[in-house]
Amino acid sequence: MIVKNHRHSLLVAVALLVMPSLTWGSGFALFEVGNRTMGMAGAMTAVADDPSALFWNPAGMAFQTDEGIQLMFGTILIMPEQTFTGSAPYPGEGYTAEQIEQTFFPVHFFVGIPVNDRLEVSFSFFSPFGLGTEWDDDFLGNSISKKSDLFVFDLGVSMAYQLSERFAFGIGVDYMIAEIELSQNINLINPFNQRLTEVADARLKSDGINSAWAWNAGLLWKIGSGFSLGAVYRSEFSITGEGYGAFNQIPTGYPEFDAVLGTVFPFDGDVPIEATIDFPDFWTIGLSWQNEKLTLSGQYGVMGWSTYQELPIIFPENPEFSTAIPENYEDAAQYRIGGEYRASQHWAIQLGYLFDETGQPVESMSPLLGDGDRTSYTVGLSYFTDRFRLDLGYEYLKTEGRSTGGNSLDGFDGFYEGKAQLAGATFTIKF
Amino acid sequence: MKKTILITCLVALLAAAPAMAQVDLSNYVALGDSLTAGFVSGALMDFYQDRSYPAILATQAGAAGFEQPLVSEPGFPPILELVHLVPVPVILPVGLIPGAPVNAALPRPYNNLGVPGANLFDMIFTTGDINNLLAGNTDNVMHDLILRDGIHTALEQAIGMQPTFITVGIGNNDELGAVLAATPIDGVTMTPVDQFAFLYNNAIGALVTNTSADIVLMNLPYSTTIPFATTVPPFVDIPGLGLTPLMGTKGLLTPNSRVTLLAGGLIAQGYGLPGGPPLPEDLNFLTGEPGYVLRPEEIDIIDDRVDAFNEIIAEVAATYGLPVFDTNEFIAEIVAGEAPSYGGVVIDGSFLLGGFFSYDGIHAQRIGYAMLANALVQFINAEYGSNIPQVNMAEMLYEGDWQTPGISPAAAKDVVLSREAFEEVYNLFAPKLGNAPRIRRPQSDRSDLPTVDLRRKPRSTP
Repeated sequence: MIVKNHRHSLLVAVALLVMPSLTWGSGFALFEVGNRTMGMAGAMTAVADDPSALFWNPAGMAFQTDEGIQLMFGTILIMPEQTFTGSAPYPGEGYTAEQIEQTFFPVHFFVGIPVNDRLEVSFSFFSPFGLGTEWDDDFLGNSISKKSDLFVFDLGVSMAYQLSERFAFGIGVDYMIAEIELSQNINLINPFNQRLTEVADARLKSDGINSAWAWNAGLLWKIGSGFSLGAVYRSEFSITGEGYGAFNQIPTGYPEFDAVLGTVFPFDGDVPIEATIDFPDFWTIGLSWQNEKLTLSGQYGVMGWSTYQELPIIFPENPEFSTAIPENYEDAAQYRIGGEYRASQHWAIQLGYLFDETGQPVESMSPLLGDGDRTSYTVGLSYFTDRFRLDLGYEYLKTEGRSTGGNSLDGFDGFYEGKAQLAGATFTIKF
Repeated sequence: MKKTILITCLVALLAAAPAMAQVDLSNYVALGDSLTAGFVSGALMDFYQDRSYPAILATQAGAAGFEQPLVSEPGFPPILELVHLVPVPVILPVGLIPGAPVNAALPRPYNNLGVPGANLFDMIFTTGDINNLLAGNTDNVMHDLILRDGIHTALEQAIGMQPTFITVGIGNNDELGAVLAATPIDGVTMTPVDQFAFLYNNAIGALVTNTSADIVLMNLPYSTTIPFATTVPPFVDIPGLGLTPLMGTKGLLTPNSRVTLLAGGLIAQGYGLPGGPPLPEDLNFLTGEPGYVLRPEEIDIIDDRVDAFNEIIAEVAATYGLPVFDTNEFIAEIVAGEAPSYGGVVIDGSFLLGGFFSYDGIHAQRIGYAMLANALVQFINAEYGSNIPQVNMAEMLYEGDWQTPGISPAAAKDVVLSREAFEEVYNLFAPKLGNAPRIRRPQSDRSDLPTVDLRRKPRSTP
């Protein structure tokens, strides 16, 4: 007679498992592809004068053919912090939680190879999307998320061609690879004491190579009098990935309940899943001015989060569980200004400021990502010679606090506020 | 003497009433039945009464002095507990000795005047005497426990309190008997519609006319959707035969028939199975034995009756300009698994594991009542522009039950709801055969009562 309930509970449990996927990719865009770039707040679309142009404007590589073969590599340490203050009805007024401190270090690697004085072919490797969150074991949102890691790796090849002395274009293709791991608790009502009880730890992990193709294109026009105009477009892409869910039973202290759960959940095996994630496109236009000592740059861009309207989840072996979860993201604008002062033949400093709107609606804010509009202040320091360059960068990022306003899709209402510090080093070698 | 005490208390309460913006719950009275009383798992017990929706609502509104007819552990009757989950769930009363009233000396009416088992007629006309209960008579136990003075009905006591705020959640027992007995019979297990209309109109009219309270009416859920009627499937899985429809006294059960929770015991004895006696479908008037099967047409009859009652409630509310909390929709969302989640956890209407209903399969447990209270808070805030804080559901979800974490050992029986458990509940809520509610006017010789004016008097818009 209880079979019906078991089945229902399994449905609930599986629904719980997939719900965290709601926010994959949301606000997870990474723009940290070089430390000089970071020091100028990413305002590089109309500058694009080093190999990080492969992200910000591939056309810029066409103006670097006289630099010879360039190899740029480095990393940026990302140290995010997030606090959550609860509200009623769940998890209640006065409840607070902080994310466990973690440090991430996405790497960037660029190679630019001039073919002739107008054409350059380049290769790139970086992470355009990624983030990780982790909460304490007793976190009241642990049935939404305990720990999550998402990284998208971009393996790109580009070609840039200088059409004239002042005008160049660049195009490229990107092979995107996603890796995802999510873990959460499955909490059910214990029928013996009618208390919400942790019954299992569930882990959802991508398996194998889940990939997709994307493309990018850019234009760079050196107008004259030191002014440049740049534009870039990076396409959206959709990754349909395979993976598995693994369940580990958490003993409740009630052996009969545990025994029933053992008949419901595949504690001794994995459940295959497929998920499709739509990543947004991105375009930006920029204007810069520079002379021998100074570069000033500003740009406006839009992240096309509106492509992220729903998240289809497929259970090949349990099609009745397949679902499509509404997301309803909106496009989000970003504004960047940056400058560089070349103090000598070997030293330069960078400063920057950016404002990055969130595309995440308040109802989608969750322990996976409680996003808000982001403001960053950046600074950088560079030492360079003819064949070698070292860039150090630092960014202080503040996420504007936002409340779910009682509209959380997960039923986890409260106020999210975050900040992050980013710092790193990039080396460039010219052959 | 009682009158003096009552008036003194009322004056004191009114004097102490704090000024509250928009809506004033400082003197809140809840009228209703077992749902209002905080009845859980077949019992009225202080642990759960303190978590009844009126008590939670009063707490959230900061209303002090919300008094209830508390009963000590293990409740009255002794509360049910889940003794075993496997191989089949076993639910039994926790013991034989019930709890005792612990707030019976309160020298004024209770704020929570919800009376388990009471229908609309009872709310208006039935009294109770605590001395009868203390003398060991259990013929009118819930009214005796809650109304106490032997004179005033729940409606009269509510008016006597001159409350600032009233919720009225009555009418469930005007059709619940049809589900418990699996037999809808007009005038026996269901109150006739015209009678309900007359009584409801006059009861609400009396509250509007004789109090200055803000009044919220609560309509009725479909009793056919509670676990008592939806847990046991109309078929069994027999090895070698597969899914086999149960046999009822009217023939094979169709897939859309519903079998009541108590039938589990009979099925275990072979009733309804191939070669066994058919499952009794309808109420036996000679023995009082309930039926166990609701055919689709019977479900429709009961649901139609709930619809009719809810139309009456809506019409009366419109007449007096009162808001109606849609309990029907609230429960429908729970049952459908579409209620708002709490941190990703959805509380639904499944028996034992769903989290909303208690072990009797009829009433909510504390999480369910807290959800109802929170929905009421949101409704009141929207209706009156007030700012009553919402309920902290995390506390409710993780709190556990009255005897957490222990369960007492008992002999396993191969039924979902034991006979003892069922009878305890059924005795309180079963239809009263040969005793269908009759319309009576309030007695006119009660000079100590406030005048109850049963005339309609449209109320100004709040």
